[in-house]
Amino acid sequence: MSIGLLSLIILGLAIAGYVIGRRKAVAQVEGDIRKLHSLPPFYGRITALLTAVPAFFLIAAWLLAQPLFLENKALSLINPAELPAGKSAELVMADVRRVAAGLNMLEARGDDVGPLLASPTALKSALNGAGVVLETEPTPSTLAATAALRDAGATSRLAMTGAALLLALAGLAFGLSRINPEYRARNATERFAMWLLMASSLVAVLTTVGIVASLLFESIHFFRLYPASEFFFSTVWKPQFGGGSSLGILPLLWGTLYVSVIALIVAVPIGLMSAIYLAEYASRSTRAWVKPAIEILAGIPTIVYGLFALVTVGPLLRDYFASPLGLGNSSSSVMTAGLVMGIMVIPFVSSLSDDIINAVPQSLRDGSLGLGATPSETIKQVVIPAALPGIVGAVLLAASRAIGETMIVVMGAGAAAKLSLDPFEAMTTVTVKIVSQLTGDTEFASPETLVAFALGLTLFCLTLALNIVALVIVRKYREQYE
Amino acid sequence: MKDQRLETRVDTQTIKIEARKAQVYYGTNHAIKDVDVDIMDKTVTAFIGPSGCGKSTFLRCLNRMNDTIPSCRVEGSITLEGESIYDPRVDPVQLRARIGMVFQKPNPFPKSIYDNVAYGPKIHGLTRNKAELDAIVESCLRKAALWNEVKDRLQAPGTGLSGGQQQRLCIARAIATSPEVLLMDEPCSALDPIATAQVEELIDELRSQFSVVIVTHSMQQAARVSQRTAFFHLGNLVEFGETGQIFTNPKDPRTESYISGRIG
Repeated sequence: MSIGLLSLIILGLAIAGYVIGRRKAVAQVEGDIRKLHSLPPFYGRITALLTAVPAFFLIAAWLLAQPLFLENKALSLINPAELPAGKSAELVMADVRRVAAGLNMLEARGDDVGPLLASPTALKSALNGAGVVLETEPTPSTLAATAALRDAGATSRLAMTGAALLLALAGLAFGLSRINPEYRARNATERFAMWLLMASSLVAVLTTVGIVASLLFESIHFFRLYPASEFFFSTVWKPQFGGGSSLGILPLLWGTLYVSVIALIVAVPIGLMSAIYLAEYASRSTRAWVKPAIEILAGIPTIVYGLFALVTVGPLLRDYFASPLGLGNSSSSVMTAGLVMGIMVIPFVSSLSDDIINAVPQSLRDGSLGLGATPSETIKQVVIPAALPGIVGAVLLAASRAIGETMIVVMGAGAAAKLSLDPFEAMTTVTVKIVSQLTGDTEFASPETLVAFALGLTLFCLTLALNIVALVIVRKYREQYE
Repeated sequence: MKDQRLETRVDTQTIKIEARKAQVYYGTNHAIKDVDVDIMDKTVTAFIGPSGCGKSTFLRCLNRMNDTIPSCRVEGSITLEGESIYDPRVDPVQLRARIGMVFQKPNPFPKSIYDNVAYGPKIHGLTRNKAELDAIVESCLRKAALWNEVKDRLQAPGTGLSGGQQQRLCIARAIATSPEVLLMDEPCSALDPIATAQVEELIDELRSQFSVVIVTHSMQQAARVSQRTAFFHLGNLVEFGETGQIFTNPKDPRTESYISGRIG
């Protein structure tokens, strides 16, 4: 049974649960609903929830866990002696997966796959016909693993369908059995809703944990192949896909920080000052069109900023600043990327700061003005200090954005990993190198590829540290207003 | 506590602020109509009246705080020691240093207690060195009857004080610029009775140095602290005179209805 059909059946059961639960509650008090603890729909609702939600959770959990179990089983059937030269068991597993998927597809079309399994040649051509292209004919152990994978998959699917339906029916029965006039269906629905909401927030948290875990595992893998001290302290970045690469993160980290710092030097004063203008001086009508106009900047795709850097800002800086001053003649430079990135993050600073400045109570401004302070003295000495925690948060958010930015750097700053102080020289950042290491034509187990994960993890730690600093600052200096 | 102190003691008869035919408009809404008021020096003047009668609006005209509201327009003449405060040559910022203000809700700045009081003297350059500033801060906190409670924690944030202490801090902050007139917009409405009594006592002491104008909803408070009382109703100044006379022998029937609790 397909997942879609199964879901429909469970939903049907839930609707039935709603109708029956409601009827039962009304019937028990012979139509006088004042005798019920809750209104009739609550009895229906809690029954429907008890029917559908646990069953759907089971399906979700099963689908997540299933591949792990199945693949382990199939992997154990692959004979290491039969592996072709240069191929790891993981690569063979990829074939197994594709063959299994192809066979499932053929079966779904109504073909008889029995004879194909006996002859590898026929299988290969049949799969080719179905759009699944294999490099070589599948070996017997691959076929055995495929068969095991498909068998286990079918069994598991069947078991899941049965278990989900049983759970739904059990939920339905349990829900109906609890209905009586004293049953607090309204409160139970409330509690159920709370758990549901909590589970949703858990999804985000678990996803983060999952991402970090995958980064961590691959990074550990990388550090087994490549010394960590070299990675963190070497000043040379020179990947060679034949082996013998130097993979020092320092030049990349330097480039990242250099570009981000320039971006913040551009964005923080401009963003903050425009926020102050908007919040304190601009009339309502001015604000109504200036604020959206600034926020449009945040909606421009970064690749468009990249084009702007490549075509306009880069050559401009080279022709009017770098070349005349004898500072170099490269149109890709840290300066170009930093300036353009600075423009990109202006709305993060200005829009957030504007909201925060607006949230400072008017009574503080009145107090300061009432003492004979000018508006600018009031802003400098009262409003900004009161809004500071939020402003710091806005700046650090902008910093995180700048550190994680890729496209503008590729097009504005180039791809040469260099440790240099000259802002008119081409440099590159961590993100750019992650992209270039993963878009090569290499296998996925070499240090040259896996280094991307270590880079990603470093970047993640960097932004995490920034966020923690922001949080600490906000906590420490937060003022309580009524 | 000085309860229902109705006898009048008007010490000086110098007129500090004089309003003649003052009009205030919010857009097209005529909020204050033909108000004539004389604020005497070294006297506490109370503005009473039902909510929305314009007493706070009029108070805010006296130091041009209404300038911060774009739709607000003031006509007629309001003079401080004979000079119009709405004259284009008058700098509202300088004016507000001469006419201080204390607000309804305590609004200490997010700074230390010391910096809250030192704020005005610092921006106006009233002191030449740290020692003078320390002296001003101490004397203002003493005048505001707060010194003994905060002298050991001057660097603690002003927002950490209790409501009554915060309001006394705001009064200390307002008198630190040595204003000639102190405007108070319902200074006790957010305070409990004990803090209210402290602030009222303070107002009575401040009278020896400043002219004080206080807006209040409490007629007992007006009777306790003020020497002169103005009754506002629907944007008009109904009656203005010595506090004792207003509360014991009002001339206008509306005043009588209000103070006896029939309108308002």
